Amino acid sequence: MAEEQAKKELTVKKLRDRGVKPREEVIEMAKEQRKIIKQISECLKAGPKTIPEIASEINMPVGIVAWYVLTMFKYGQVEPGEEIDGYYKYKLVAKGGGK
Amino acid sequence: MKYDVLVIGGGIAGIEASLTLGDAGFEVLLVEKDPSIGGHMIQLSKVFPTTDCAGCITTPKMAAAASHPKVHLMTYSEVKEVQKTGKEFRVKVLKKPRYVEEDLCIGCGRCEEVCPVLVPREFDYGIVGRKAVYIPFEMAVPKKAVLDLEHCMMCGRCERACPKDAINFLQEPEEVEITVKAIIVATGYNLFPPEKKKEYSYTGNLTLIHTNLNPNIIHSMQMERLLAPSRPYHALLRPGDGKVPERVAWVLCTGSRDKSLGNPLCSRVCCMYSVKQALLYTSAIPFGEAAIYYMDIRAFGKGFEEFYTMVRDLGVYFIRGKVARIESRNGNPVVIVEDTETGEIREDEYDMVVLSIGLLSNPELSEILGIDTNSYGFYVPPEENANPVATKVDGIFVAGTATCPKDIPDTVAEAAAAAAQCIAYLKEVGT
Repeated sequence: MAEEQAKKELTVKKLRDRGVKPREEVIEMAKEQRKIIKQISECLKAGPKTIPEIASEINMPVGIVAWYVLTMFKYGQVEPGEEIDGYYKYKLVAKGGGK
Repeated sequence: MKYDVLVIGGGIAGIEASLTLGDAGFEVLLVEKDPSIGGHMIQLSKVFPTTDCAGCITTPKMAAAASHPKVHLMTYSEVKEVQKTGKEFRVKVLKKPRYVEEDLCIGCGRCEEVCPVLVPREFDYGIVGRKAVYIPFEMAVPKKAVLDLEHCMMCGRCERACPKDAINFLQEPEEVEITVKAIIVATGYNLFPPEKKKEYSYTGNLTLIHTNLNPNIIHSMQMERLLAPSRPYHALLRPGDGKVPERVAWVLCTGSRDKSLGNPLCSRVCCMYSVKQALLYTSAIPFGEAAIYYMDIRAFGKGFEEFYTMVRDLGVYFIRGKVARIESRNGNPVVIVEDTETGEIREDEYDMVVLSIGLLSNPELSEILGIDTNSYGFYVPPEENANPVATKVDGIFVAGTATCPKDIPDTVAEAAAAAAQCIAYLKEVGT
């Protein structure tokens, strides 16, 4: 199976060979996104936290952290736990336990 | 390719018209510009005044259209040229590349799982992210992935992960020529862009939050997504910090009945959808406080007045006054308004404010089709009262919100009327 996969020439490679490249802004944005997700994940390794707690710990605007945490929920990377004063605490989902 | 009828627009009007025509035995091509049919209705939570689930009404119709032997779907496609020759229309349709082979894709979502790029998800109006390759939404028809090359890193992970080898980066736009005898235009409406009402401080892009704008000021379609059973979050939360909102306000006539914004028209649905949303909100958050700021409540349809009265009696506050501006205090939106019943200037703080945005026209195809629009861009039937679904071009009919803002029952009734007129026309010209 792996051999078969290796033999198959990807169409994305063919497109790159034609000189089509991804936009620089997209590459930069993806790097930034990876960094933010890593920061949030690292922060949650210490235990469940609310979105404002995460934002305060990683020193990032709470609105941006909210967007990432709730997107991570959508993709099964975090799950909500108890609710305290209107805020849910989020925890990391163990690998393989996502949606 | 030859069909009897081209239906442009795969919202509830286009689907209804296609099914009526298909059931009558006509070959229908339904062209939709988005990757899935369903239109705005599939994004809604519930419908007013019955509070029936919108998805439960739309999804079976979407599935029926997809499986109907006489209805042929062409999604992610746009009508580019229409020429009438004798009794036929020659139409050029541009099929945009999905970069995914539709006949191979099984909608498993493996490509989406491995994609490393996040983009604001259109289906949820940006309150959550999607990947650069994605399934448009859970109930999409067809349930096929689409690759957004604009935001793609071209890393090839999706292509390697696809179990069916469906990803194809070499797909090109394809122009398809078709011949039809009649056309139904069901292109729907555009939403008023709330960032145009600067006094209301709407942020627009939630991923690029500007310091003086408040992400807890959202618009009504975002609220529909928060309230829908298929909502993106696990609970009803405000997008700015994930808090369960305890006090929510709706600001009616945002972008409607406002000459300063170029739209003096009433959008006809905002009063009732806001009343419905307030009811759904108070049902979801039992101790939640809901307030609606209005100029006047237009509850004109069947059962609307009773619905409004019931919601008011349940404890939703109705405050009469045109909101002057919305400011921020400790992350909370503050509504500044003169209560025109008491003359008092109020500054009311909420956890979240919903801007009840209006419906604008979608006149994109008017020149291509050669049919008239009014000064607001809505299609104008030559005999609006006698025949509201006809146009000045024989064989072209209009349905739904393409002619003016209207609610779902009126839209569905008009779609059936357009289909009936179309059938009469087809019999006249001979099929």
